[in-house]
Amino acid sequence: MGNGTGDFTHYVLNKFMMITVVKRSYLLFLFFSLLACGNKEEKPAGQTTVSKKDSAAFVKTESSVNPYASVDVSPMDMSYYPADYPKLKMARTVTTPPLARIVYSRPHLGGRNLFHEILKYGEPWRLGANEATELQLYRDATIDGKKIKAGRYILYCIPQADSWAIIFNSNIDSWGLHPDATKDVMRFVAPAKQTDQRLEYFTIIFQKIDTGAELVMAWDNVEARLSINF
Amino acid sequence: MKKIITAFIVCLSCSGLFAQTGTSIPAIDKSPMDMSYYPVNYPVLKIQDKVTESLAARVVYSRPQKAGRVIFGGLVKYGDVWRLGANEATEIEFFKHVKIGGKKISKGRYTLYAIVNENTWTIIVNKETDTWGSFKYDAKKDIVRVEVPVKNTGVPVESFSMFFEKKTAGINLIIAWEMVQVTLPITY
Repeated sequence: MGNGTGDFTHYVLNKFMMITVVKRSYLLFLFFSLLACGNKEEKPAGQTTVSKKDSAAFVKTESSVNPYASVDVSPMDMSYYPADYPKLKMARTVTTPPLARIVYSRPHLGGRNLFHEILKYGEPWRLGANEATELQLYRDATIDGKKIKAGRYILYCIPQADSWAIIFNSNIDSWGLHPDATKDVMRFVAPAKQTDQRLEYFTIIFQKIDTGAELVMAWDNVEARLSINF
Repeated sequence: MKKIITAFIVCLSCSGLFAQTGTSIPAIDKSPMDMSYYPVNYPVLKIQDKVTESLAARVVYSRPQKAGRVIFGGLVKYGDVWRLGANEATEIEFFKHVKIGGKKISKGRYTLYAIVNENTWTIIVNKETDTWGSFKYDAKKDIVRVEVPVKNTGVPVESFSMFFEKKTAGINLIIAWEMVQVTLPITY
């Protein structure tokens, strides 16, 4: 909800209802599926002040009435570790800084299968849409025995059937297309597996494990998990 | 508005077609997040090798929709501190030292709030980051408050919007929703 004035319960209720509505409005998005993003982006033109995203299709009713910046068909989202850190902070249940945050855009299947209609094994993928997917580490971490410094990275992946290569790259504040491999910082292997659910929207979250957190990257019926030790 | 309601009713009637996701998987939010840079479209310019100005600022915010409601003076009450968006607090990052309202601000991440009134808004730059909405707003952590005049957009703006534009001595952060637009000057 957009206002900061309602109480929190009200907010949660509304959010729940809206999630339901949004999920059910899937069919509407089907109409735009041909235009929907994946890794077949068009080059955004360097037009006016209006920021156009390369996921190409915009919510139709919106673009006609918002002269500033249309709402994107692959909305951006943010996940923290600890999960829901901003809410914990608001509830005053945390006093330490967060450990990690990911900011990414969320393309949707739009009637397609992830493999191989959107992604192909062995081909690099931006782990999202539009702006490059950004990982912020608030403190030094260890992944697969290798030390990785606190700071900001962009991530992309090279998926295979049973594992995804997850690449940390230093070319931050860039667009997700054409990652510059000369700026790769680290490369890790995240085990991947099939799940018994189908996720319409690409999703990245952190889940707690004994040694830190797993970065869970899930879309369609596939998920890859990268362990990060803090 | 009628059309929107009809669309939602149609959508609701299409229930049960898609499996519910697991409890820990976040669904798409009604107020999607978005990001605006200055230079405008910086990430695109960067991969095209077309950057001519250094990176100055970025705002990360969520975009509630008007959806037929009265926003200013209704949903957003005059005189209250408003989160300038939805969900996670709106974050502005400066990649260089800037000045707002005569106050020097070091590069880094900050949270933006606003106190909305009919003819003016007070824009608040606050140093408490990674928080949610304005529920835990703490005026002691304010860096600067700037009063800015309200302008009529001339056209209705359905989704809350924030973006930067170039000015001779820096940039403006434009904030627009409903029929209202304000401009926050940022110099460097």
